[in-house]
Amino acid sequence: MATSGSLIQVKDLKKYYNGGAIKALDGVTVDINKGDVMVIIGPSGSGKSTFLRSLNLLESPTGGSIIFDGVDITKRKYKNADGKTVKVDVDDLRQKMGMVFQHFNLFPHMTILENMVLAPTKVRGVSRADAEQKALALLDRVGLKDRAGAYPIQLSGGQKQRVAIVRALAMEPQVMLFDEPTSALDPEMVGEVLDVMKELARDGMTMVCVTHEMGFAREVGNRVLFMADGQLLEQGTPEEIFTSPKNPRLKDFLGKVL
Amino acid sequence: MGSFIQLENFPKIVPYAQLFWQGLAVTVLLSVFTVAIGFCIALVMALMRLSNIRPFRFLGVDANGIPRETGALAFISKFNPVSFIATAYVEILRSTPVIVQIFIIYYGIFGVIDLPNFTMFGFIKFERFFPGVVALGMNSGAYLCEIIRSGIQSIDGGQTEAARSLGLSQVQNMRYIILPQALKNILPAIANEFVVIIKESAITYTIGVQDIMSAVNAVRGATFIIIEPLLVATAIYFCLCFPTSKVIAYFERRMSHGDKR
Repeated sequence: MATSGSLIQVKDLKKYYNGGAIKALDGVTVDINKGDVMVIIGPSGSGKSTFLRSLNLLESPTGGSIIFDGVDITKRKYKNADGKTVKVDVDDLRQKMGMVFQHFNLFPHMTILENMVLAPTKVRGVSRADAEQKALALLDRVGLKDRAGAYPIQLSGGQKQRVAIVRALAMEPQVMLFDEPTSALDPEMVGEVLDVMKELARDGMTMVCVTHEMGFAREVGNRVLFMADGQLLEQGTPEEIFTSPKNPRLKDFLGKVL
Repeated sequence: MGSFIQLENFPKIVPYAQLFWQGLAVTVLLSVFTVAIGFCIALVMALMRLSNIRPFRFLGVDANGIPRETGALAFISKFNPVSFIATAYVEILRSTPVIVQIFIIYYGIFGVIDLPNFTMFGFIKFERFFPGVVALGMNSGAYLCEIIRSGIQSIDGGQTEAARSLGLSQVQNMRYIILPQALKNILPAIANEFVVIIKESAITYTIGVQDIMSAVNAVRGATFIIIEPLLVATAIYFCLCFPTSKVIAYFERRMSHGDKR
């Protein structure tokens, strides 16, 4: 996949807790390009999820910058094209980044269809009819059109996660963030979710995935990042990372998971 | 030497039956309005307590941009005046007797503010009923606030994260995601508070609200019998509260079935 310019530039991103005693992120710098399928691997507690959640400001970074669409979103204000100082609109920013969580986080008091049309109608002002039509088309894509009237509790884990993915897609995001999307699933349901993600990648969606699925990282990712102790220790193509790792921590990690 | 209950006293109450019927209506209306007012106050207070407004936030960061964790400045930077006001309201109202609150509202506040002097439905004196409702509403608002707050806090944080990541604002998140789920969870607790208010409303007879208790007093004043009208009042309160709590229990069971589906 040819890359066409960077979409998100992360510079020296830091997230400290307890006045710097705990460094969840300790200076991460990386460019995310359009069309990238970036897979972040690493031991638990390495800051992968914190990094991902910082991208759409679910965590507010202690330091560093995240340039998205030409705007440093970690600052509260920025100068626009006319030189005026404007507030960073976090809600607007988050619309452009879809996020999928480990525990699905579907809204249990709404049907699948309502889950999907809520944000498009309330946030983007799409008409109810258009939103429903789009939602049904998306559900059809993941084979769940016939469950549109069901409640989340009636779905299996794999089905819930597929709904969560298309719910995020309904907002037509520029980038999709996946936070361990298969970690809470029964083994036999992992495949159906990964298939949806693979299809997304083939369609050219920019994706950042924190995952423990090394097979997925190898097969679908075009860049693999290895993180430990809040730092980005090594990055490269899946080929480079999995067949000729250089960092001893990465070698150790791969020895345990492969 | 007379016995504890004298049956021949009951017929003496019959001429005053009208007072008990009116008292029943007053008690029910009082409770309904109290819950309505209390709920509105509670919702606002709960949202205030959970708000994150910190006007001195900038004091919490030192010159190098590192957040302060200790010291007076860190403390001031975390101060939320909106939450403080709501917390003070709740704690004061919960830590003082209802009767003191009612007297302060009736003799204090509405001793200064003149209320229109008219009767509702021909037997409810507005200038006494209204202060009673306000006082009970403010009091139950404090208790309901804690119920609503716990309801909101019981909703998994992932719900908010999902809503915000879809671009919903804080207000939209509350309105469409958090409150509908929280209110469903706390409906039994709100209904229980309703039963508590029915019983507590008896105290408003002290400011001359003509509820069931005031009917007892009227009978005592006219006939000098006290135990028998009290027993009638007991029966009426029981007939109000017991079925209500049974109905609540029924809905509670039905709703929990829905969750296990």
